[in-house]
Amino acid sequence: MKYRGFLLVALICSAPVSVLLAGSEKDFSTSSTTAAEAVEEPYKFSADFTIEQAYIGDADVARGGREVNDFDEYYSNVVFVYTPRIKFGILRLGAQWERYSFGFSSSGGQQLPNTLQAVNSIIGLDTKFSDSILVRFEAQPGFYGTSFEHLDGDAFNIPFVLGGTYIYSPELQFVFGVGVNLQSRIPAFFGGGIRWKFAPKWVLNAAMPAPRLEYQPNRDLTFFAGANIKANTFRTDDRFGDRHGDTSLNNAWLAYEEVRTGVGAEWKLNSSISLTIEGGYVPWRQFDYHRTEVRYHNESGAPYGAIMLHGAF
Amino acid sequence: MSKIIMSLNCIYRFVLLLIVPATVIAADPVTEMGEFSVFGKVGLDELAQSGVKTATGAPMSTPRYLSTQTCFIIPKPPDQVLAAMKRFDPTAHRELKVYLNSELSGSPSAASFAKLNNPPQNSAVQALSAATKAMSQDLQISRAEAQKYSAGQPVFAFWTDLLAKRAQDFAAGGASRQAPYDHSKNPVQPGQELNGLMKQQPKVNRQFGGFLGATGLLGGKGSLQADNYWQLLEVEDVGVVTLGASYTRTTPGGGAQLADGFYYASGGYNVALTLYQLWPVNTGGQPSTLVWRGDFISANTLGTLHGIERLASEGAMRKDISKAATIFLRENSR
Repeated sequence: MKYRGFLLVALICSAPVSVLLAGSEKDFSTSSTTAAEAVEEPYKFSADFTIEQAYIGDADVARGGREVNDFDEYYSNVVFVYTPRIKFGILRLGAQWERYSFGFSSSGGQQLPNTLQAVNSIIGLDTKFSDSILVRFEAQPGFYGTSFEHLDGDAFNIPFVLGGTYIYSPELQFVFGVGVNLQSRIPAFFGGGIRWKFAPKWVLNAAMPAPRLEYQPNRDLTFFAGANIKANTFRTDDRFGDRHGDTSLNNAWLAYEEVRTGVGAEWKLNSSISLTIEGGYVPWRQFDYHRTEVRYHNESGAPYGAIMLHGAF
Repeated sequence: MSKIIMSLNCIYRFVLLLIVPATVIAADPVTEMGEFSVFGKVGLDELAQSGVKTATGAPMSTPRYLSTQTCFIIPKPPDQVLAAMKRFDPTAHRELKVYLNSELSGSPSAASFAKLNNPPQNSAVQALSAATKAMSQDLQISRAEAQKYSAGQPVFAFWTDLLAKRAQDFAAGGASRQAPYDHSKNPVQPGQELNGLMKQQPKVNRQFGGFLGATGLLGGKGSLQADNYWQLLEVEDVGVVTLGASYTRTTPGGGAQLADGFYYASGGYNVALTLYQLWPVNTGGQPSTLVWRGDFISANTLGTLHGIERLASEGAMRKDISKAATIFLRENSR
């Protein structure tokens, strides 16, 4: 009998897909399931977490004649998201703590907070419009301030993202999305990109905020080179300007942006946990009180190193 | 004596009373399919118009398992559909990535795999060769099989011997006789995986249990005649040699059940099982066949997917099965 080829081959091609891989033949008139037909799985605790720590060496920024020199940075990020499967997709309920700690010199002169940090919740949903279109909505309501002492209602913000992936083929996916942060210089930032597996073991993952080229010598190890853009807004306390010689900086929203470029390796410790180590250079960063026209732009970059533990269960 | 005969007649009539309504109910294909599938009740005319309908199968608790169900209508009676399935040649469809496909006799030997002496030259086959020469842990073989490989041995001579032995074991004792994949990092035993897949699909298991029990896929050798075969195909850019067996039985009313299992694969997936139920129906005044298909797969890679990755893999599986089913539907709608 020869019918088994028809019976099984497609299954084989699809089953071992990795992230967002899928086959696609758009000219076939098929009627597939939609999100409403997604099924609930038997209860199983499912979650993902990220623990990230980075160090950036001495760098300089300036605003006119004001120079802020030789400050380093410790970056910390801890994210935990509970991801139960529901009828309409996968819920994302979690919490995040993100902190930028700058080592400004004690001589003063700068108008920048030593610490920027956020404590926020995560409320989102991953779902699909069809077998080819996956969508994520995620809001991050929380407090975005300069220290735990000043995390009050004024620092409350609800940035959110709406993004999607169109799975054209197992080798090619298109990513699109918009990030909305009403306290940012650009309240709605539209972005897009592609994920293209152009050769066995090689993937061009050109999607914001972390475009990179990946080489996977085996299933457990991935080398990459690329960039990572970190950006967020934080509110100073209501006396910050008084202390720094410019009252317009009291209770002001500060947009901080940083671009990292580097290389790294991601090692799957087991089926659930991976360890990433990377290093490189930060060529650009900016502190921008955009509503008061006070902006510290990049003067010189610095090397960086980062380590990240990521788990998904 | 006459009382005994009367009693027997009464019992017989009672049994008939029990059986006949059940048969009548079972004779309604839409109701029968709705009882064991995830589709519920479907409209035949609507399904005939819409093409292939796919859905994720009943959820399974083992992370490496995944299932999809499909239904569609082919405007031909079941016997012609079965014949078309037998004629279907996957190697003729390049997108299916099946490079070699060959029948196996009831007494398989190394000669049955002669096509492997001249494998296609492509990157997937080269990847399989490289993995074999390195005895990669990605290869799904037993420790004993791994020890039989000697450096410098022609790669496909190794696979020929391995496949012949595994095919012989299947012929002698079914999938339960297969050696475990204990050379790899995630050792499983193919027969146990096939059983595990079905145990986590209770409704489908009830529908096909009697049939599957007579095959070599879930138990011992099985009483039904198997159509055995092997293939060389591509999974995730790597060549995979695989062994499979197909079984068919007709059902009352002119339909049929089919089971097709891949009980060995050198990589990519552990096992895969596809079940078919065919019912004769009439759509638009034309004798047709309502086809239900269930695909069940065990793959270690699936176990590593979480969250949206899992969502994507389900969509991928549905799309690919839908693609294959649509190819077949198109070829048989002319």
